[in-house]
Amino acid sequence: MDDDIQDILDAVSRPSLPQRTLDLQALTRAWVNERTSPELLPYPSDLVDRVVERVKTQIETIEDRTATMDSKSNFTLVILQTELERFKFLVRSFLRARMAKIDQYPHHYRTLSLQQTQSANPTSPSPLLSHLEQQYLQSHQSLLSHHYQSSFLSTFPAALQRLDDTAGGISMVDKPETDNAVFCRVLRDAGSVEIQGEGGATEVDLRRGDVWVVRWSAVDEAVRRGDVELI
Amino acid sequence: MYAEQANKLVLDAKRIQNLPHLPPYAATTVRAVTKEVRDLDREVSNLLAPYSSGSSSTTQSSDGTQQIKSSFSPADDPATACALLVNHLSMRRNKRCLLAYHRMRTDKLEGMCWSGVDVAEIQDASASASGRQSGGGAATSSLSAEEEQYVHQYSDLLAAYKGQWTDIDLTGSLEPPRDIFIDVRVLRDAGEIQTEYGSITLTRNSQFYVRQADVERLIQQGYLQRLS
Repeated sequence: MDDDIQDILDAVSRPSLPQRTLDLQALTRAWVNERTSPELLPYPSDLVDRVVERVKTQIETIEDRTATMDSKSNFTLVILQTELERFKFLVRSFLRARMAKIDQYPHHYRTLSLQQTQSANPTSPSPLLSHLEQQYLQSHQSLLSHHYQSSFLSTFPAALQRLDDTAGGISMVDKPETDNAVFCRVLRDAGSVEIQGEGGATEVDLRRGDVWVVRWSAVDEAVRRGDVELI
Repeated sequence: MYAEQANKLVLDAKRIQNLPHLPPYAATTVRAVTKEVRDLDREVSNLLAPYSSGSSSTTQSSDGTQQIKSSFSPADDPATACALLVNHLSMRRNKRCLLAYHRMRTDKLEGMCWSGVDVAEIQDASASASGRQSGGGAATSSLSAEEEQYVHQYSDLLAAYKGQWTDIDLTGSLEPPRDIFIDVRVLRDAGEIQTEYGSITLTRNSQFYVRQADVERLIQQGYLQRLS
């Protein structure tokens, strides 16, 4: 009963928050999710675009205000600049976390993003990689493979020169470990997930406000939907 | 023993992880390992030669692995089958070791690119480090020619990518910012810098209270030291 009312209250009070606050919340959430999830999450292009736009206007505001050199506005300026630095840090750290993951499993993500572009349909969720990230991934990979080629691979027998061999029972393409445990908080009721316990598999309900430690593979869908956030 | 040389490379790579500089490129070991792979490959074809049925003995399949169409059956001659298997696995293992070694080094180089070290400085620093190790011998760069090329290309790529995020400064500090003004001490003369609050001349051993964003780069390059 209590929960129902809470839900209704939330639905009413949510739109009253200004877009800025929502964006900050969303960015922080995306940042934490990206840093803690073992897999790369879809790129929130709209959000990043909005934030970058806002950073730009904020820089202009600050420059305008410093130009006037009003002693009274100095304190406001300090606050504005601190806020700006923090925003910049969030975006920077977010992007770097993504790049670190891309660099760690380049082949895996390249295949994934290729699959996504091939099966592109208008209803599909936001792409895994941004356009820039895709460019970066491509050129970085061509650099790396060129480097391997010229360093030693070119002298190998032809059958062993590929970088994505699956022969011999081992795939050369590393994949992120999807069974890693993650801490998560449930934001909206998200159905039930299967948990592998000592006594076999059991199902648990994810209820709003719950905090769980579960395998990433169990909640990754819910995180992508936004029903669950990582902490 | 097979893959002994390759193991050396892996151990080396492990060691590199914790080193501040990059030790010289193990060109001889890399060459030895590639030679081993070639020898193994030759041995495999020699072993299989008697079994190959006159016409096209090996074909390249679509996934790049060689499919051997020969009259050889492992059950008839387990000794040869075992030798073949060992050779195949050793070759793959060597390849993985080589890849790991090179990846480790390139990762290290990329890290240096990210932290804003100049390409020339990387070469100088590692050259002097290796020079010290070899008793001040020939101060050749510890990067292989390919690695040098790689560093150049990667820093170009990085610069291009960074250029798309002008306001964010991707290579900036990954520490959450606390204060926008910090105390710094000047370790090396850095000349005059322009800030929004006028210009300051950074002379050695002087101390300033400046905006962090203005001096970030200088701290990374070692001109300034941050005082907590």
